[in-house]
Amino acid sequence: MIRWLLRRTLQAAATFAIAVLLLFVLMRLTPGDPLSRLVGDRDVSAAEIQQLRQRYGTGEPLLTQLGAFLAGAARGDLGTSIEHYPDRVTALLAARLPATLLLGGVVLFLNFTVGIWLGVRQAVRRGSRFDRWTGRFALAAYAMPGFWLGLVLVAFLSLRWRLLPSAQMTDPLLPADADALTRGLDILRHLTLPALTLSLTSIALTMRHQRAAMLSVFRLDFVTAARARGLSEKQVRWGHAWRNTLVPMLTLLGLWLPVLVSGSVFVESVFNWPGLGSLAAQAIAARDYPVLLGTAMLVSGAVVLSGLAADLGYVLVDPRVRPS
Amino acid sequence: MFNHRLLIPALLLTAAPAAALQRSNDHGSAVIIIGQEPATPIPTLLNGSGNIAVSDLLFLRLARPGVGLSTTDERAFEPQLARSWSRRDSLTIVFELDPRARWHDGVAVTAKDVLFSFARMRDSTVDAQRALLLRHLASVTAEGDQRVVMRFRRAYPEQFYDASYHIQLLPAHLVDSIPPGPRFANSDFVKRPVGNGPYRWVRRDPGRQLELAANPAFFLGAPKLDRLVFLAVRDAEAQINLLLDGTADIFEAVPPVSGPVRLAANPAVKLLNIPSLTVLYLLFNQRAPGDRTRAHPILGDVEVRRAIALAIDRLNLARSTYGRFALPANAPVAQAHWTQGVVPKGTAYDPGAARALLASRGWVDRNGDGILEKDGVPLTLRLSIPVTSATRAIMAPQVQEQLRRVGIRVEIDRLDFPVFFERRTNGEFDLDLSAANMDPSPSGIVQSWSCAGRGGSNVGWYCDPGLDSLVDRAISTTGSGGREWHAAYARLQGDVPAVFLASPAWSVAVHSRFRNVSFRPESPYGDLWRWSVDPGRRIARDGTGATPR
Repeated sequence: MIRWLLRRTLQAAATFAIAVLLLFVLMRLTPGDPLSRLVGDRDVSAAEIQQLRQRYGTGEPLLTQLGAFLAGAARGDLGTSIEHYPDRVTALLAARLPATLLLGGVVLFLNFTVGIWLGVRQAVRRGSRFDRWTGRFALAAYAMPGFWLGLVLVAFLSLRWRLLPSAQMTDPLLPADADALTRGLDILRHLTLPALTLSLTSIALTMRHQRAAMLSVFRLDFVTAARARGLSEKQVRWGHAWRNTLVPMLTLLGLWLPVLVSGSVFVESVFNWPGLGSLAAQAIAARDYPVLLGTAMLVSGAVVLSGLAADLGYVLVDPRVRPS
Repeated sequence: MFNHRLLIPALLLTAAPAAALQRSNDHGSAVIIIGQEPATPIPTLLNGSGNIAVSDLLFLRLARPGVGLSTTDERAFEPQLARSWSRRDSLTIVFELDPRARWHDGVAVTAKDVLFSFARMRDSTVDAQRALLLRHLASVTAEGDQRVVMRFRRAYPEQFYDASYHIQLLPAHLVDSIPPGPRFANSDFVKRPVGNGPYRWVRRDPGRQLELAANPAFFLGAPKLDRLVFLAVRDAEAQINLLLDGTADIFEAVPPVSGPVRLAANPAVKLLNIPSLTVLYLLFNQRAPGDRTRAHPILGDVEVRRAIALAIDRLNLARSTYGRFALPANAPVAQAHWTQGVVPKGTAYDPGAARALLASRGWVDRNGDGILEKDGVPLTLRLSIPVTSATRAIMAPQVQEQLRRVGIRVEIDRLDFPVFFERRTNGEFDLDLSAANMDPSPSGIVQSWSCAGRGGSNVGWYCDPGLDSLVDRAISTTGSGGREWHAAYARLQGDVPAVFLASPAWSVAVHSRFRNVSFRPESPYGDLWRWSVDPGRRIARDGTGATPR
């Protein structure tokens, strides 16, 4: 078991290293000049352009840049942002991560509580009006582009009915010394629309997986045996059938976990949510290579770790997949 | 699943405003949307419009141009840190500093600060651009604590502008021990700058907002907007939504087409149009795309360039893109430039003359496909535009259609801005829809239209020593220089290095409760400290003071 775990961890580390190297090279092969956002439409002299290139090291050969990046990364330093100069990339990531974790965490929580509950309920009441309409509604929401749904929700809930703020994570004029409850409720108000948008457009996936998994388990003999033993329908459903759907749901969770750190570029932009998704989008638009690489490293790290966590999860919940 | 019937009232309760503090009736707060995050609004580190806008509230200059933005009439300048100025001779200006001026930490602004700031910013290794702009300045010396003497190498009408406009002062007592470069950029001063302007630094939440508070001891008068919050918002929809839902008060870059229509939904927001320092133009690459050693095979011919200028209906183009709020441009001169009045009338729209001119240069449609050819080569040009510019995206198909009518095929390359910028810098384009945001001085045209500007903003590689000589004469002539500028612009028009299309007004959305509202073309928020709130129209947030720190 320990050898398996060690081997699996080494595989994950190698995957991560290859991903980082590929990202580094591909980003610099992408056309576009990182000075574009700094210069914009201003009149500049050749001397200023030269000075900016020197400051940000963008004129250096690729191998020199790679060497500097790897040396810095070994010290835990991912370099300095070009667009947000002189902010360090690690500081920018640390500043943006909480917002993304909060939004991603709430969406994940909604998807894996409400989504699972609805999926189980659909399976139990298979073919009913509830099953049909819940399925149609969820699929319709799934088919909608997130940014469009976000704009529709803003148009009604923010601009027409004035129930919720249209963007931002906090009230800009909230005093810095506001108490935790005020601050928490303020964040909750601002979180509602982006979380609702992301959940509505993604919950169908969890529901469909859960429904299909439950239906396949309901056909098995041990469910019939449990009912024959006189267990209540609730015990059969949650204590026996649902527990046996955990493996496919863990696979789905493993695929979803990276969303916790990657954020959603479009939804974060529409709601001006200060997370990693919008930071990555800005970095792409500005060719801010250090920030782009930092966010990409975080996401690829999350993907690799989620895969590892899912594999460990299988081992824990299903004795049949335990390595000999 | 949560119960929405319980949640919504709970959320509404939290929207209730905090208890308003008692203060004068015309005081208030303002939330300002800014497209680019002001990460370092510090002189010597200024890059991007966001930093420049905020730094103007923190750091003053010695003087600033007056209402007409004249850069040659020193009597028209408004005092800032300098209370007055006088001349000893044609090469020497003496500034008397305002003895009331203080840094935000209470230390007096003195001649030592001026000397230190000029020394640091004239160092080409620190700020190459400013060093270039101040190349005619020979020395800066102090006579006591309050008097500064600046001596120039040559006499020219913009001496005073150069001496007063390009440098925002830094506090010598806090900064002179910090070497320039990365140590300065990462210093505590940059994290919590101490300025001398009407607003002082409160805090910055990276990626979210930056907050300033009124400096009650500001020597020109205490600001009435006690608290300013700059929100960094990139998304065009979010920018307008935040104005519509009442979160924000001011947005300086309302899109000219869709913005006014959407903002009409909130009657509390009014739209102002301010003359800008921006010019849009269709730039011709003088050299072969990607090979600057050869002349452009088509656009190297001045008559072809002239024919293109004749084929473009600039008045309609400006109106269809900006409505009433743009003027057709005839030179690289914007609405707010003082030389606007001396620009010669440009080429009139005349597609018939354009066709005739092209025919005279051998461009004829021999195969009847509607596109002209010469020696078997069709008259096809590629036009680069950045996808991030809504106005240029509107203009490009119109230019394409207008040129098609005279037999020129234009293929539009819609590019991500960094790719657009890279292609411009490397000369990989035929035509390019450019925008120039310029300084108040007409002498800024040196950077884009002179031989010396190649390698910098002169990406079209246009070079005419005759024009350089005329511009140099206009810059150095004594008197207003109007006639000299007229001659320079006429020469530029004759060479047609570009078709100057429009100078737009700058659309600003402002909450209507503010009074004394004014925006400056060269410094959008330079007058914000003079604004106040209509006492009868105060809203909840006008009672919230700055966050104590």
